[in-house]
Amino acid sequence: MEILAEGQGEYFPPDPDGFRAWVRDHKPRTLVNKMMNEHEAIEKFVSDGDYLAYDCNYFQRGPSSLIREVIRQKKKDLWICGKFTYVALALLVEGGCARKADIGFVGFGPWLSKAVAEGRLQTYEYSNVVMTYRLQAGAQGLPFIGVRSFGGTDGFLKSGAKLVNDPFSGKPVVLLPALNPDVSIIHVHQADVYGNARIFGTGISHVDCALASKRVILSAEEIIETDEFRRDPARTAIAHFTVDAVVHVPFGAYPGTVQGHYASDVKHVVECFGGMMRGDLHPYLEKWVYSVDSHTEMLEKRVGWKNLQALQRRETIREGYSI
Amino acid sequence: MTPATHFAEREHLICTVSRIIEEEKSYWVGGGGEPLYSILLAQRLYSSGVQYMTEDGVIAPQSMMPLDPLMTMVASRAGYRALQWGSMNTAGNFAQLGYVDVGILNTLQVDRYGNVNSTVLGEYEGGRGRRFGGPGGADTIAAQCWRTILMTDQQKRKFVDRVDFISSPGFLDGPGAREKVGLPVGTGPWRVFTPWAMFGYEDKSCELMLMAISPFVTVDMVLEEMSFTPKLAAKIETLDPPTEEELEIIRTQLDTDGQTTGRGQWIEKREGQYVFAETQGRE
Repeated sequence: MEILAEGQGEYFPPDPDGFRAWVRDHKPRTLVNKMMNEHEAIEKFVSDGDYLAYDCNYFQRGPSSLIREVIRQKKKDLWICGKFTYVALALLVEGGCARKADIGFVGFGPWLSKAVAEGRLQTYEYSNVVMTYRLQAGAQGLPFIGVRSFGGTDGFLKSGAKLVNDPFSGKPVVLLPALNPDVSIIHVHQADVYGNARIFGTGISHVDCALASKRVILSAEEIIETDEFRRDPARTAIAHFTVDAVVHVPFGAYPGTVQGHYASDVKHVVECFGGMMRGDLHPYLEKWVYSVDSHTEMLEKRVGWKNLQALQRRETIREGYSI
Repeated sequence: MTPATHFAEREHLICTVSRIIEEEKSYWVGGGGEPLYSILLAQRLYSSGVQYMTEDGVIAPQSMMPLDPLMTMVASRAGYRALQWGSMNTAGNFAQLGYVDVGILNTLQVDRYGNVNSTVLGEYEGGRGRRFGGPGGADTIAAQCWRTILMTDQQKRKFVDRVDFISSPGFLDGPGAREKVGLPVGTGPWRVFTPWAMFGYEDKSCELMLMAISPFVTVDMVLEEMSFTPKLAAKIETLDPPTEEELEIIRTQLDTDGQTTGRGQWIEKREGQYVFAETQGRE
């Protein structure tokens, strides 16, 4: 196949056979209780230098408590899947956790601009859908995927994509390298102790993230009985054998929203977003991450149950969320 | 419909775009702000059945306004009473299959060929330029919707001969360039709207073409706020001002705290003419 043009960006290399071997050797086929707390889950399944994907983001049904725990444990040299992101990358860079990022959409501001200029953060350019297509290819066990976008952009030149002549039609098509993250963190509405999970409402790429990743950590608003899944199997979004850890985290997406459960904490969102845009997130991390030992302690000491209940009351829509 | 006598320029922009929304076409609305308000205003006044989707795979919602700050996607009010909930690839697939007629986008910088920059102002290499968020869903919208509408402000630094970085594709280098890099046939930029003007593209050259101006500016004022000279339509039309009915909906249902429309200049009708309310020209 003739390569017409190719990006010069480093990319996390796909290895479909390596992934299959990982699945063969590491993923349990039986129902195994995977419940653990956030500290154990991040300690055990996120390593320095990993490629890390999170689904959704810090403000919208994302694994916000797990992102804070990654920062609290001072994980290093992570390569971040920066799709659909307002502040998560800025927080991870401020915390010294991230070295590289594939960019779909990321809130930048002066802090991340400075990190790029000083060489502390290396960026590679994609787009949101291009990243979720890469995950889709990873989720299918394929080495690459063709896509009819991204060609002709400057992002293409800073990526791992290639433009080739389609061997069937002879017409030009862009190929993207599949993405199989080392670890994905995903926040779900409901899970059982084995990792079967339901998500209600839209998401970005949760199903593909779970399938494509070597290790998968779920945080769940609610732990439900396995029999509930057997009663309504069509609603299972994530199958247990893809999952390595299940953490029960009510308000796990705080300060973000979880559809049907609670609204975003507008004041907190503005504090965090404002910190990023001012280029000063250290006080934010000190207050919300370093000075508390856990998510529960953060909720109790920094937010308070009364305020959390108010967020629940502000989330008035129930249709479609089975709550 | 009563012509308004006092309005913000970005309100005028939203009203203008809302009037060209066509009920029988499907739309992909990129993010919140002006693109979302334009289609919601159209639904309330001009084309009640028009359907749109968002990047998180919300298909044809009846969204509950107003939205909390930044909560335009993966949030219950934004996706309320949709016909389908999917994921980002749901949206991507619909666009790639040809189901999405028109994409509406905000943009940081646009050039002669409708290329869009949302990545960096200045030089990319070495991190020397000022970084922005990246294309998000805009690359897919600009590549795959049959038509793309851009919304931006009329400023010299936003209309440049060549964008600093092509985040999302316009006509690239001109006629035929899109097909050579694998983009779907028959797609591309269609209109650019600013509070001051409406642009299209000249068929033959694929270059940006001034088609209409707002009633409170002149052609020269628009050209003054561009870093290059666009093609000019044979006849430059004048856009209608907002109506009181449109403004009431924007102010009471959509941008209720003025986060989007509060920036920019105000226009008033004085002695039968639409003029800038405080200072003539930009502050």
